[in-house]
Amino acid sequence: MTESGSDGRTVNAERQSALIDEQRRTISELETPVIQVWDGILALPIIGSLDTMRTQQMNENLLQAIVDTGSEIVILDITGVPLVDTAVAKHLLETVSAARLLGAEVLIVGMTKHIALTLVHLGLDLSGVTTRTTMAKGLQLAFGRLGLEVVRTRERQQVVDSPLSLDD
Amino acid sequence: MARFPVIRLGRLLIATVLEELRDSDAVDLREELSEALEKTGALGVLLDLSAVEMVDSFLGRLLGDVALCAQLLGAHTVVVGLRPAVAITLVELGLQLKGVHTALNPEKGSALLRSLIARDGHAKRPNGR
Amino acid sequence: MVVEASVGIAGEDDIVAARQLARETAKGLGFGMVDQARIATAVSELTRNIVRYATEGRGNAVIRTLSGPDGRRGIEVVVTDDGPGIADVEQVMQEGFTSGNGLGMGLPGTRRLMDEMDIQTALGSGTTITIRRWRR
Repeated sequence: MTESGSDGRTVNAERQSALIDEQRRTISELETPVIQVWDGILALPIIGSLDTMRTQQMNENLLQAIVDTGSEIVILDITGVPLVDTAVAKHLLETVSAARLLGAEVLIVGMTKHIALTLVHLGLDLSGVTTRTTMAKGLQLAFGRLGLEVVRTRERQQVVDSPLSLDD
Repeated sequence: MARFPVIRLGRLLIATVLEELRDSDAVDLREELSEALEKTGALGVLLDLSAVEMVDSFLGRLLGDVALCAQLLGAHTVVVGLRPAVAITLVELGLQLKGVHTALNPEKGSALLRSLIARDGHAKRPNGR
Repeated sequence: MVVEASVGIAGEDDIVAARQLARETAKGLGFGMVDQARIATAVSELTRNIVRYATEGRGNAVIRTLSGPDGRRGIEVVVTDDGPGIADVEQVMQEGFTSGNGLGMGLPGTRRLMDEMDIQTALGSGTTITIRRWRR
């Protein structure tokens, strides 16, 4: 369908702009999915670099998820973030602050010696930010905060599958 | 009073902001809460901001004032119901809500207040209160 | 089609009027809830500066819809006052700066909330602050 005249060009540009907006939103939702790993615990694995716009989108998704699930713990996994500099650190602190305003505590996991030294060197105020090196440790801390305990109730079962045993 | 009804619930004061607050309304809120705290000796203030669409630097500072007043009068302050849009804007504005605890909703907020008060270790009064 | 509205700023009720009008305009442009909050907050900060700190506390806020060259929609708010002007804009835009009478407070925060901010000012001849935010 074609439209002529300057109005037509504006309309097409608007349509394109709307389409780009929608695609951007889809991409950003896929980029930082918010996962409910347990009752009251959300996890955000961040893959890739974290810029202002992405942080804004991430914060919006996260806060809405906190409201929807009533979660009180958020585990932010930065293992997939290639570079943590002042800008990225500030973005992470924004996420921590925003979640706190909704009554949720943010644990940052994926901490490495390199990042730790960088953050110390940058001299940012990291009081009130809890971090761990791995997601497993973060989960352990989260369970502890919620007063939960993981207990082994039986021996681990070995499951041996015959490749042909689809129905007996 | 219709702007932000304040009710007493046991050892707590519960204030719910119902409409958009002008600057002078915010100041009144601080005055009325301080007076109510002094009069009742309440140990906690639950401030419900779920109807609030915007918190700017003035209101933000004022909330900090409320929390400080409350602290001086022996009470903890918990703000509940901040909308995601408001929380994000607050953070981007660079506002720190000093001395203010936050929770998602009134239920979690009063649980938080109860635990903060319990941590203070109040001895029971002779009539059991 | 450009929509433009003006609000005279003389008292605290005008702060509320201006920010509500800005929010409505933003909503009409299709800005989401968070952007609406950002824009309303920015307008609140700027108009409050007039009421509290301009000479006779008088000024004006003009709220305008924008159409960018790439077809994007946006909102622009131009806040003017006849106050004393800002002596050192750079200083005022620095984080954590507090002047004695509070003039210029909230400006760094406002800058962070908006895509564009432009300050025209001169001592003794008032201040004009223009802020813009674009639909993403």
